[in-house]
Amino acid sequence: MALRRYTASIDGTIPVPALLYDDEELLASQDGVGIYDGLQKAPDFQTGSVHVSTHRLFFVHSQNPTSHSFTMGLLHVVRTNYYAGLFKSAPKVSLFLDADTALPLTTTSGQRTEIFESWECEVCSHRNPPGLSPAAARICALCGVPRSASAGSATSEASSQIQSLFSSLPESSHTSLSSSSSPGPPSPPSTNDDSDGIACPACTFLNHPSLRVCEICTTPLPNVEHAGSMRAKSAPSTRPVSPVGGSIDPANLLIKLSFRKGGDKPFYNLLRRALRSQAWEGKRIGHSARSGTSSFAITSPNYGPTPVAMRPSGIDGIMRNVEASAHVTQTDLNDALKDLEGLMMKAKDLVHLAGELNEKLTASSTTTTTSSPSTPGTQLSSLFSTTTLVPSTEPEEAKFIRSSLAQLGLQMSNAPVTLDMIRDERRWIEELARELARVLQGSPDDIPGQKSVGVMKERGIVGLDEVWGGWNRARGVALIPPSTFLQVLPHLPAYTSPPIRSRVFKSGLSVLHMPPYTHASFTARIVGYLTMSGMMTTSQIAHEENITIGLADEMVAAIEADGVICRDDERSAIKGGGSGTASEVRWSRNLFLEYIWDGQL
Amino acid sequence: MALSTHTTPSGFLLPSIHSAPPFFTEQPNQNTQAHLTEQWIRLILTYARHKRLFVLRVDDAEVPGGDWDEILRNERINRRIPPSYLSSLMASMIAKNLAVYEPSKQTRAVLLYWRLPEEWADVLHSWATATGQLNTILTFYEISDPPIPSPLSGIPIPLLRRAITILSRSNRAQIIGVADGEGVRFFIG
Repeated sequence: MALRRYTASIDGTIPVPALLYDDEELLASQDGVGIYDGLQKAPDFQTGSVHVSTHRLFFVHSQNPTSHSFTMGLLHVVRTNYYAGLFKSAPKVSLFLDADTALPLTTTSGQRTEIFESWECEVCSHRNPPGLSPAAARICALCGVPRSASAGSATSEASSQIQSLFSSLPESSHTSLSSSSSPGPPSPPSTNDDSDGIACPACTFLNHPSLRVCEICTTPLPNVEHAGSMRAKSAPSTRPVSPVGGSIDPANLLIKLSFRKGGDKPFYNLLRRALRSQAWEGKRIGHSARSGTSSFAITSPNYGPTPVAMRPSGIDGIMRNVEASAHVTQTDLNDALKDLEGLMMKAKDLVHLAGELNEKLTASSTTTTTSSPSTPGTQLSSLFSTTTLVPSTEPEEAKFIRSSLAQLGLQMSNAPVTLDMIRDERRWIEELARELARVLQGSPDDIPGQKSVGVMKERGIVGLDEVWGGWNRARGVALIPPSTFLQVLPHLPAYTSPPIRSRVFKSGLSVLHMPPYTHASFTARIVGYLTMSGMMTTSQIAHEENITIGLADEMVAAIEADGVICRDDERSAIKGGGSGTASEVRWSRNLFLEYIWDGQL
Repeated sequence: MALSTHTTPSGFLLPSIHSAPPFFTEQPNQNTQAHLTEQWIRLILTYARHKRLFVLRVDDAEVPGGDWDEILRNERINRRIPPSYLSSLMASMIAKNLAVYEPSKQTRAVLLYWRLPEEWADVLHSWATATGQLNTILTFYEISDPPIPSPLSGIPIPLLRRAITILSRSNRAQIIGVADGEGVRFFIG
């Protein structure tokens, strides 16, 4: 009896998450559950899984999910009881149901889909998406204004439900609810004339009952007379139910969940939490008598206006809406990042897999290469013949797989890179070296009179950064990363004439230079200068060599490290010279190494 | 470039590298600097023996007009040794046992060993023998400032004490406390 009055059947083949409203959340699931209708076992619902969401309770039969599954709104539950089980008796959760919220027996399916259509708010023109729970779907998601009561029967249905609810409520809550509710449709017809007025759905101004549009904002007001008449018509369908202790035996007003496979305690905790939070009230958007019921069985999900004080509207509503969507975005982002982290955790496995793949490929290619020479002349088993058929395609595939792995950055450091890849890589690097040589020295096959000038120009030495920048500017697209650039450099002497080599100074400065700027020849030149002129400063050397002072400093420092030259610091001067940074070091040949004492003995 | 030796007013023959400006600069290259240090130490000790100087101070490089000006400065090439350089030279002299910090526990002044304490001990004993002062009690003052100039004239007391200690180890001298300080008696060794 209770089952029939409070539940609606659903198609259990649909996964439960798909049955949820957009604002509904699945809390817990438990299989191996049987249902008691009242005190007796319900024979049709003995093995299945039960799910609890913020709004509803689902039962999905394990054998006959299509016919023997149902859903029940948590709204109906007034009280719960937990029985821990004894010996062979399974733990049970009893749900005591509210006699006054039972579904009408005379349900029609005329407007069942209405709520799941998208609709346009008449105030802000926001197109509300389908899929929200009945309570949430009744008001505009953007501005919080209730959907206009277009369907008269729906309004009447709802108001009758609310009315019946009021009659069963304690006196205090009844007064608080009625004081906060709009005095329009929800109030009984007898008190309709006494009410203060009709609350405007847009600006909440209480208009005189005889007005059709709001005095302040000219929004059309809910049609009270129409709704009232319809209510009178449909009232009998639910009236018989509402008297306390009516046709239903209170003992029958409960269903029990029997947990035959355990899991009762966490489920019960979550169920109680769901009952406490009362999410079916639509996040305090409004109170609805039947919002918990499934859309598949209820007559009409459209309800009359809700208490104004309880719903966000206007700018406040919009702000709250924006906040909510930002929160959702944040949550999604967090989830996505968590997924990414999970992927990173998996990366090790992936690398391992790549390594195994590589090993297998190497193994198979070695077997094929060893077997192929024996192909002519010898009698081959079928096994060998198949493997000899494969090799023609194998290297291509292996090459493809390995280059794919390499592109993914999963190249094994221990596993040898195949010859194919090396050949490719080497050709690529060599091509780059040839191109770089043209950039540096100008292309040799140009018109003789119009000799193109490379980055090197007339200089014999140039910084690596300048070369890299110049090269990438010359390329324009498909820029060369520094790592590749450094790989190219060792190949450069082969493609340049005279050969250009790279050199790294002690400070880390890297340069490309022509043969005259090798360490040995530069040293010889500097010693020659010093022999002629005695002493030279760094800037004089830079001027003489036509290189930058910084570069000259580096090169001279390298010579000094060899001990070929020595320095004379101006700071040792008796007069002038001065202190600190303005003075410049003068260089001279190192006379002390071969000095023989010629002073007083 | 042509470097030449130079004779100072005090009659000291300066080596040719003393007129090379890099000589007055501490070289970052350690190999070069090792050669340079060697030449500097030789120059300092030779000059100290020439002028009978026993103490070298960092101040000598800082303030002109001292005993060491002739080698620490070269007016002809406008160069002088920076005090920091002299300080590091003193440190390497001590490392080679050619000097000691005197007084100890500071690094501003050194006592030069242009004769090692052992050599000084021999000089001291032969002087005492030559002047017939064996078995006679002598004060330190009588040794360092004798009425007739001797090789020991002006020897610093710390160096003298070191030399006497070396002699007493081989029983050729004995330190005796006297009324106005310390005295020493030499024996035939």
